[in-house]
Amino acid sequence: MTTVLDAAGQFSDWDPLAQYPIDPPGARDPYPRLAECRRSKPIATRNARDEHGNIVDAFEVYRYDDVAAVMRDNTTFSSESIRADMAPVMGEHVLVGMDEPDHKRLRSLVQFPFRPKSIAHWEDELVRPVVDGMIDRFVDRGHAELVQEFTYTYPVQVIAVILGLPHEDHLQFHQWANAITNFAANPKTGFIAARELRAYFADVVEDRRKHPRDDIVTEIAVAEIDGERISDEETFSFLQLLLPAGAETTYRATGNFLFGLLSNPDQLDAIRADRSLMTQAVEESIRWGPPLLITSRIATKDTEIAGTPVPAGSQVIANVGSANRDETRWERADEFDIFRESVPMISFGVGVHMCLGMHLARMEMRTAVNRLLDRCPSLRFDAEAIERDDVHIHGETFRSPTAIPVLFNPSGSPPQAPAPTALGRQSHTERLASVT
Amino acid sequence: MTLRIEVDAEKCMGGGNCEFWAPKTFEMGDDNISHVIDPDGDPEEKIVLAAQGCPTQAIAVWRGEERIA
Ligand code: HEM
Ligand code: SF4
Repeated sequence: MTTVLDAAGQFSDWDPLAQYPIDPPGARDPYPRLAECRRSKPIATRNARDEHGNIVDAFEVYRYDDVAAVMRDNTTFSSESIRADMAPVMGEHVLVGMDEPDHKRLRSLVQFPFRPKSIAHWEDELVRPVVDGMIDRFVDRGHAELVQEFTYTYPVQVIAVILGLPHEDHLQFHQWANAITNFAANPKTGFIAARELRAYFADVVEDRRKHPRDDIVTEIAVAEIDGERISDEETFSFLQLLLPAGAETTYRATGNFLFGLLSNPDQLDAIRADRSLMTQAVEESIRWGPPLLITSRIATKDTEIAGTPVPAGSQVIANVGSANRDETRWERADEFDIFRESVPMISFGVGVHMCLGMHLARMEMRTAVNRLLDRCPSLRFDAEAIERDDVHIHGETFRSPTAIPVLFNPSGSPPQAPAPTALGRQSHTERLASVT
Repeated sequence: MTLRIEVDAEKCMGGGNCEFWAPKTFEMGDDNISHVIDPDGDPEEKIVLAAQGCPTQAIAVWRGEERIA
């Protein structure tokens, strides 16, 4: 598959279903199956791939309490399965695949810039200009396809700006991100991209050590806690991890959020009129439409889940998508309802690996949807395109809309801030490169 | 009644989810651990949600003698 990012930041020969590389084509709606599992067999065996790509039997858990118990008990359930899976691309020291005490040491070294207080100033300075720059490209048109033109690209752009990467590198960064996101569909390209990205980060880190700046790379590269410092290998792995962990998740989650709102015009109207609903709406959307439904662990000893023996060495899949629809915790759990009373959901995980980027993700989603509503009056689904293209939310591992065709009144208010970092500003036709 | 709120510094993994649920009650310190800045900072139900949402069950909340989260 060749995907070319053109000057307008769109993807030519975009294949919507290529967004779900590892799912069978029938992965349209896993939720009825998951509901049945929660009711009748709370732990089941299913096929999974081990780190060599071999099909193995794994246990999958579905109920909220069981999923939370597995993710909380990080001594019995190790993240080694994730490390083994990611190491060829991300290196040996990939945070999400580490166990204690190594995990805690590394996490405390990188966590600082992602605290709620630390990210607060990024909203106006960095995220809103990125979002506005993307909206600029279609705001006068009155219609758009928001997956290709917006949700797919803005989180990568946000990562590029929070890392302080120079503008002229953004197009290249997008191409690496694209190749790494499509790793499962095209491992060879993904692998090459990961290697190039690593070499690139090595230069960036070296530069920041010599010329410190007010950006995340500097903060992490010079971080020191109790005399501990982050190694170069750990730094590169962490920066690389931000693409699959931070960009792909946020793109899909924003798509699901928009899809939930656009499918429920009364809720969309309510939030348009009262933006203070945004925070709870983001929470509900991440519960109802998590971008990633599963994560995995390895049992370190013989144990038991929901009365079923699980031998040491078994792979255990925690289905957070299912846990979030647990009817013992939420009424009408399958419904998207921004007005429901909030109780903590589990899409960001739980336990020591709980998402490092959750505050950033929430802020990005809030900002993205706020700006779309501000600048695209009467934003609504293009019902004809929905029907014609059979548009729906797809996937059982990664899950997000196949497309988000929208119409709006093309008289958006001008952006509040210029968009100096917009990709379109510095990409010329002759610089179009393709990722094969 | 003012709640008694305790954060177990050993268990806290520093992700700041409590600060999301109850931002006037909890704040992440430079030591990478959550601190109670004002036990009356947020409505009681928000503080209970913060405790329930803690990924490592590091937060305990008492009303008088009764542990409520
Ligand atoms: C809605 C968007 C997001 C969702 C649903 C999400 C979900 C998750 C989940 C479920 C985990 C735990 C995985 C496990 O325990 O096996 C996790 C960990 C992680 N996430 Fe996110 N994430 C999102 C956005 C982000 C963003 C924007 C960043 C970028 C900073 C990010 C960075 C990370 C990192 C670095 C970890 C590993 C943390 C650790 O192992 O200690 N995530 N995420
Ligand atoms: S939610 Fe729990 S683990 Fe996270 S910062 Fe607060 S007390 Fe610490």
